[in-house]
Amino acid sequence: MMHIALVGNPNTGKTSLFNQLTGTYEYVGNWSGVTVEKKVGVLRNKQAKVIDLPGVYSLHPLSRDERVVTQFLLTESFDEILNIVDASQLERNLLLTVQLLEFGKPLAIALNMVDVAERRGIFIDQTKLAQALRVHVVPVVARTGKGCDQVERMLLEKVTERTEPLTLFYGEAMERAIERFIATWGTEESFPVRWLAIQFYEGNSYVHDYVAEKLPEATWRSLYEQAEKEVKQTEQMQLAQFIYEKRRSFVKEVIEQVVQRTEIGQVTLTDRIDAVVTNKYIGIPLFLLAMYILFQLTFDWLGAPLSDLLDAFFAGPLTDSVTAMLEAIGASEFIRALVVDGIIAGVGGVLVFVPQIFILFFFISFLEDSGYMARVALVMDRLMEAVGLNGKAFIPLIIGFGCNVPGVMAARTIEQPRERLVTMLLTPLMSCSARLPVYALFVGAFFAAHQAIVVFSLYVLGVSLALILAKLFSLTILKEEASVFVVELPPYRMPQWQALWRSTWDKGKGFVKKAGTFIFGGSVAIWLLSYVGPHGVNVNMDDSFLAMIGGVLAPLLAPLGFGTWQAGAALLTGFLAKEVVVSTMNIIYHVPNVESLQGLMATQFTPLSAFSFMVFVLLYVPCLATVATIYKETGSRKWTMFSIGYALVLAYIVSLAIYQIGSLLGF
Amino acid sequence: MVAMTQLRVGERAKIVDLSQVNDLVKRRLLDMGVTEGTEICLKCTMPLGGPFMIENCGQCVGIRRHEAMSIQVKPL
Repeated sequence: MMHIALVGNPNTGKTSLFNQLTGTYEYVGNWSGVTVEKKVGVLRNKQAKVIDLPGVYSLHPLSRDERVVTQFLLTESFDEILNIVDASQLERNLLLTVQLLEFGKPLAIALNMVDVAERRGIFIDQTKLAQALRVHVVPVVARTGKGCDQVERMLLEKVTERTEPLTLFYGEAMERAIERFIATWGTEESFPVRWLAIQFYEGNSYVHDYVAEKLPEATWRSLYEQAEKEVKQTEQMQLAQFIYEKRRSFVKEVIEQVVQRTEIGQVTLTDRIDAVVTNKYIGIPLFLLAMYILFQLTFDWLGAPLSDLLDAFFAGPLTDSVTAMLEAIGASEFIRALVVDGIIAGVGGVLVFVPQIFILFFFISFLEDSGYMARVALVMDRLMEAVGLNGKAFIPLIIGFGCNVPGVMAARTIEQPRERLVTMLLTPLMSCSARLPVYALFVGAFFAAHQAIVVFSLYVLGVSLALILAKLFSLTILKEEASVFVVELPPYRMPQWQALWRSTWDKGKGFVKKAGTFIFGGSVAIWLLSYVGPHGVNVNMDDSFLAMIGGVLAPLLAPLGFGTWQAGAALLTGFLAKEVVVSTMNIIYHVPNVESLQGLMATQFTPLSAFSFMVFVLLYVPCLATVATIYKETGSRKWTMFSIGYALVLAYIVSLAIYQIGSLLGF
Repeated sequence: MVAMTQLRVGERAKIVDLSQVNDLVKRRLLDMGVTEGTEICLKCTMPLGGPFMIENCGQCVGIRRHEAMSIQVKPL
């Protein structure tokens, strides 16, 4: 099967085009860098595979997700490149196209956002563009899918008339340097060595590593230094800048031939929205208001009633009909107890939060797709700068409210490696949706009159601690690195329902899947441990294995206000996934629904110890999936252990302080 | 020639000198087509020494205040 690589600048509608072409469920985002992983889809007619690569401005990478593209070109086999080009930003888009043409693979251009360009008075002659670059150009509207059929047909037929890579003349000095490189390297490659030479001289860090692996240091150093010296002498310019300027003048020539401009002094909708959203005085209050509405909708106005309906269904009709069914088929008491007290109590206790979690993910997707996320980075940069990070670090934190795993991954777009590390370490402090069931349970039992404010205080606590620790880490880990911040602010777009639903489902399905696997398995295991004890089966739960295991932790937890074996067991299992804490409690307290569980817990916790417990759950360790992601992303066992260790210490100290000070104050 | 921070919101200017800017920032700006000779417009500034938002050919970029301070521009 043919393999087609989809390459383009960030925010050009690349992921939308990918979804239109492949029709698979993919994640669409508007914030530069949402596409951080390599994704493969199959064309609708099943004739070819399409690989969606992260958006890049150039093949010369600055951040980690940008390295993926250069790495892909050099190390993976594929047949064609589909280059998506934003018609309204032709110059910078074509700068990438030139580098791709130099690479020499068959290439076709999908010209997107022609409508946006025309509204700005930019008219592109597609035939002339195709002639100037000697490639096929197909106009598309990636959001609606217009033109995608034509792209698909073209990809399968002859994609290009070009048989050779594009060769720009880079001037005498540079051409001599390229020849020297080729003479040293040899020509036995699956890609043009000329391309490698140009990227090497331009200072492409990935290509540098690639070259340094095969050539001795003295050789590549002298190649580079000689070129630098000669270009400086003849052109009075830095090597990298000189190469850039050469490419740019070629692109300018092309644009001259194909673009007609008319002056339209029109104020765009984006300008009008930005006048409010990024306003000096109301920008930050507006962001806080947006967050407040988001949480109210998720937890109070919309999410809570839906959850209650679901809970009533699990506790009533579902349990009754399952019990009746089990009786009808003559199942034993053991099976009945396993299914009803173990599985339905454990899995159901978590599934009731599906509405809240989907609402939260829906709004996060909306913020991403609309273009507001990049503005959040801008608005919050001053605060983040004060703690040693930059505004872009705020985005992984917000995504972390949904789930810490994509939050940790979103940190890839941060250019400075140390800043990225600190952001990854702090993302788990963001209260993710899986912690919500725990809060909902306790808040309902102990703080019925002040639910929203108590939950909100936990979110604020997480964010505040993250900021304080950021400051602390930036004074220690980050010491030698200056924080930098540049962010592209894409035009606003009204997200499309289809794309929104897809990305909400994409994020939310993980939660449902977890309920079917981890939580299902965990519930069965926990129930068994509570059913079996050293003295036989169906024991009193206080004599079960679970009580023994939890009991080991109880004395340690006593100073925090919840020194019971039940709390110990719940916290231990909560490492699997934080919502398992609720499953465990449902099973331990052996109750049919959330309301009676809350009634029972009032005998074990006081409001103060309940709050202390929630704080501990918020902070104590990232869940298993997050730990695995941190390990994958940092590639370091040391930092992964650190992320667990500091969280445990922090949780213990903060909960201890809350409980002890609270007790002294008489709560 | 003045520093970009001297511009008023809504004012247009041509970039004259970027040599004092941090290399990483310079590369990113270059990626977005902002370099010496580019015409920009200051769209807005954030309070308490927060970032600046500039526009060039219909695209907006956010940079920090101290970076803006080291960019020399010529008001148009």
